[in-house]
Amino acid sequence: MNLCKRAFLYSIRKKGKTFTLLAFLLVMATLMLTCFSIQSATETANANIKKALLGYFTINGKQLEGGITEEVREQILGIDGLSGRYTLRSYSYAEYCDAQGNPLEINTEEAAQIPEGYEHAGKIVANSNSQDDSYFTEGGFELTQGEPITTEGGNQVLIHEKFAQRNGLSIGDTMLLKDVEGKNRTIPVTVAGIFTNTKEQDSIGIAPSYDLYDNIVFTDLSTAASLLYGTEDGASVQYGDFYVDNPDELERIMDEVKDIPGVAWEDCTLTRYDNDYQNAKESLEGLQNIVFIAIAVVSVICFLVLALFLTLRLRGRIHETGIYLAMGISKGSVLLQYLLEVVLVAVIALVISFGTSTVISHQIGSSLLSQVTSETYETVDLTGEHETAEEPAEDLNLAEIEVAVSGEDYAMVWAFGMALCVASTALAAYPIMKMKPKSILSQMS
Amino acid sequence: MNLGLRAILYTVRKWKKTLLVFFLLLAITTLVLSGLAIADAQEEQAEEVRGTTGASFTVERDISTGGWNGNYSTQEFMSEDMIQQIAAVDGIEGYDATLITLPDIFNDKGEELAHENYSFYNYGSYNSQYHELFLSGRFELVEGTHIIDDMTNSIIISREVAEWNDLKLGDTVTGIYYPENNTPAVDMEIVGIFDVVADKGDQVNMYDDSSYYAYSSYVFCSMDAAEGLIKGWGEDGEGISEAYYYVTDAAQLENVIREVQSISSINWNNYKITANDEVYQNISSALSDTGTLITTLIIVITAVSMVLIILILSMSIRSRKRETGILLAVGIAKPAVILQYVLETLLIAVVAFPLAYLSSKQVAGTLGTLFGKAAENVIVTPEHFMLVAIVGGVLLVAAVLVSSISTMRLKPKQILSQME
Repeated sequence: MNLCKRAFLYSIRKKGKTFTLLAFLLVMATLMLTCFSIQSATETANANIKKALLGYFTINGKQLEGGITEEVREQILGIDGLSGRYTLRSYSYAEYCDAQGNPLEINTEEAAQIPEGYEHAGKIVANSNSQDDSYFTEGGFELTQGEPITTEGGNQVLIHEKFAQRNGLSIGDTMLLKDVEGKNRTIPVTVAGIFTNTKEQDSIGIAPSYDLYDNIVFTDLSTAASLLYGTEDGASVQYGDFYVDNPDELERIMDEVKDIPGVAWEDCTLTRYDNDYQNAKESLEGLQNIVFIAIAVVSVICFLVLALFLTLRLRGRIHETGIYLAMGISKGSVLLQYLLEVVLVAVIALVISFGTSTVISHQIGSSLLSQVTSETYETVDLTGEHETAEEPAEDLNLAEIEVAVSGEDYAMVWAFGMALCVASTALAAYPIMKMKPKSILSQMS
Repeated sequence: MNLGLRAILYTVRKWKKTLLVFFLLLAITTLVLSGLAIADAQEEQAEEVRGTTGASFTVERDISTGGWNGNYSTQEFMSEDMIQQIAAVDGIEGYDATLITLPDIFNDKGEELAHENYSFYNYGSYNSQYHELFLSGRFELVEGTHIIDDMTNSIIISREVAEWNDLKLGDTVTGIYYPENNTPAVDMEIVGIFDVVADKGDQVNMYDDSSYYAYSSYVFCSMDAAEGLIKGWGEDGEGISEAYYYVTDAAQLENVIREVQSISSINWNNYKITANDEVYQNISSALSDTGTLITTLIIVITAVSMVLIILILSMSIRSRKRETGILLAVGIAKPAVILQYVLETLLIAVVAFPLAYLSSKQVAGTLGTLFGKAAENVIVTPEHFMLVAIVGGVLLVAAVLVSSISTMRLKPKQILSQME
């Protein structure tokens, strides 16, 4: 009887033992695979946290002739590691006129001074999305009528409530923006919205007329570009805030930006903003380390347990070994038979484990998805009533967390699992094999 | 021979087998104990991450419920008592409030300090490290210390101003706000110097008062000094109108606010509270994902460990079929046989469990030296041990009982004739 047949027969005959071994190996392999899939999922979660901490850099291209052109912006956005989220901004001043070209009234009462040539002028703020402008996010501005400006073109403006009242303007009306440097650039624009301020301007008394809240006009980027640079298409901008996926890479990305040819980078100021990340960095690394520690502990102990288990199993077969040897079967082929038995079961266990761990991973993944998180901003009212506004979570474009068994992990578990099975069987068999059949058999109880 | 003696004799006689089972139990228990400790450490670490998000709330005077006097509100300002009272609430890590003055500052020779445009823009501060400009990273303290609430007459200046005026830490400067109104001169010691990191050329923050001043002209002085600067001058127009409180754990922000609101000595009709935890909100879902994943990992480990223990014990019992048959054949009662097996297992467990406690502490200690701070949180507590010991013990007994069922159902003759 050759050893393959013997191994096979043994496995069939001792169904209980084979089954226990199979169950053991299967559980181990599934555990390892699940651990690995969880680990790679936490890596995604960690990357998401890094991304959600919103590291970005700002390019101040105010001094650049012609601003930051669309072409340069595209090159910047092409750099690896940018999240695709960005805000473009331009600031200028313009004289306000009605559709017929008659100057409009501005608020001059609270101005510290009214510079010459600015008697009918105010500050122009252009942003990729007017709602994201700091006047709205931090300064307490609120849109009361109409829609925010979210397109790059469209010749639209948002005006202050008081400015609208003073000049009898309403949504849909047309007004003109004229540049204040005498370059004769006039852009007709449509009033798309009216805003108001919920906080008092604290700079009254210092602010020149054009900076007063009433006199500020928000517009789209291409209108601002026309005022600033006189270009018709391909809006150039003064400032760009570019968000990155991993704040750790800010340095590299900023260096790559500075390598883009055709721009006088020495005239620009690049500033990195990643304070939230820097604050959380150490703790985040700690969190990632904990996962790593868990996986390391599990792996080491799993291997230990597996080795012990296989040893225990083989020691129960001392008697059998003695008989084989006494029958004249060579030590090598006995060992090979044992190895074959284990390998046979291990192969089956490893194949099944892919299925079981995929099922478990899938379960974990779907339990993660069911956790609904929504952003809650709360204003605690004076009367104790809670005014809770549920806003849908800001779309940060985070990667979906996928708990899945990767091919690499599977291959690794195969390699290690097999190596371990072979090594521990061989090791456990070694002391038995060293003995003579007679001493083995006489040693038995 | 009673069963206790039999159990001990078996354990000693089959010492190799005993040792193997012992090591298996030891390894698995260590695994579970470490797992529990890691789960706790994760909790702590996540709390630490939440603490770094700068979740805060602002208490400000409510202008809408106060009166107006021309251009300014007559709503009451925040008192020092009130600010301290709120700061003492549990869960608040730090606080700051600002009292803005625009003083002229002189050196010890009475010469006015060189500075950029207008005048100095001075923030009176309790804890300048919690000032928005430092928290956001726009300014960075490079020398000396921040202003803290028990400092008196201290000031932090920018590096530029320090260089232009040849000032260093420990020097004394004198501030005067409105000489024409006879406000007093206040002497202040320079305790810190900051660097300007942010780009002032960016017009993004042009909506407030401070934006008209150069960053280099910003100074931070201790609150008592700021109050000294405005002493004797129309005090109803100047005072602290808002204070910022930073909480230790962003997840507790709401609870802390609720507790603050229950301070009865404050007339909440005159003040309002706004929560700010945008950063936390951004990361909270990803952070809780990590938490869930680690918890799941530990659950998987624990479950698998239980299965393994059952497998091992059933294997060891099943290999003793023959022995069981003989024991039954010599007339030992079935319960006594089972009890013997249980006793043997518990005998091993009694040694393995405490050792696992020690070894997992050792593992945690080794991890601490390998991974530093994060792993220091991995602590195996006696509670973990109690949990594992009790659940483990029950599990062991159950496993022995379950795996002996099949053998015990048979008659001794059947068992022995079944053997090869």
